[in-house]
Amino acid sequence: MPLALRDLQRAFAAQLSAEAQPALAAEIVPASARLRIHRHHMLDSLASALAATFPTVQAVVGADFFRGLARAFIGQSLPSQPVLAEYGAGFPAFIAGNGANRDLPYLADVARLDWALNLAFHTPAGGGLAAADLATIPADQLPSLRLGLTPGTVLVASPYPLDRIWAASQPEAAVDAVDLAAGGVRLLVLRRPDDAAFVSLSEAEAAFVGGLVDGLSLEEAAGRAETGFDLSACFSRLLGLGVLAAAQ
Amino acid sequence: MTTTRLAIASALAAALVLPAATQAQGNMERCYGVAKAGKNDCQTAKSSCAGTSKTDAQNDAWISVPKGVCDKLVGGKTTAG
Repeated sequence: MPLALRDLQRAFAAQLSAEAQPALAAEIVPASARLRIHRHHMLDSLASALAATFPTVQAVVGADFFRGLARAFIGQSLPSQPVLAEYGAGFPAFIAGNGANRDLPYLADVARLDWALNLAFHTPAGGGLAAADLATIPADQLPSLRLGLTPGTVLVASPYPLDRIWAASQPEAAVDAVDLAAGGVRLLVLRRPDDAAFVSLSEAEAAFVGGLVDGLSLEEAAGRAETGFDLSACFSRLLGLGVLAAAQ
Repeated sequence: MTTTRLAIASALAAALVLPAATQAQGNMERCYGVAKAGKNDCQTAKSSCAGTSKTDAQNDAWISVPKGVCDKLVGGKTTAG
């Protein structure tokens, strides 16, 4: 005969204050129910971790839907290491292959942006080259120079206006509507001293950065950008952002 | 050095002598709070209550319709089909 909840709680409280309660030792709460507590605890903890890592995705679909999405992901992809902030690398791909992405085709890209911001945020800041660091290099050698991006810096491109979707998803955002047909973006996600951030790159700038990431020299990377590309302004901007580093 | 390479060398060198103040950073979206207040690796302090539900509610949320700001994203459907 199960105890009423009130009696069970009283007995449990008495047990905690060191007064042994034989009734509790019996199978009042079935083992299966006790085990379920651990199961729910695990699911809830991991879903909360995903919600913290993918705040924009959650803002877009709402907490309930996100919970379902997270639990479906958790069911097929448990953490492989103990740091919760590093859990969820496969979530964007999961969303892309999931029914949710059929109805909200931009959702996987939103998740990729969240993940990039998360990685940037957990990367130590600094290490970017400044103009002064390159000033000693003779000008005729600059075109052959190969540079990479600082850790945490990554280009996220999407056919959807991810920057505006992100802005509309912020708490207290005063955005009425985002036109999904407004065109794609190329966002450079980066680590800053106190936070993570992103800037929007033009197609030419993104082509140049993509060339650097692929290991091209500055000259070769500039060749990827369209005619009329302002290499000087782009190079200056990237240096100002502190996202360029010596090639690995 | 070819003309093109010379032009590239000049453009790159010019960028190095621009005063830092003129290095336009453009429209930067900042993410305070990507942030992770209270996100530790065990979460035993606060989440144990939330996890104690004895009923299995795995599928309830999954069939629900998105209710976030996707309504504001014009052209984004919020229902299946």
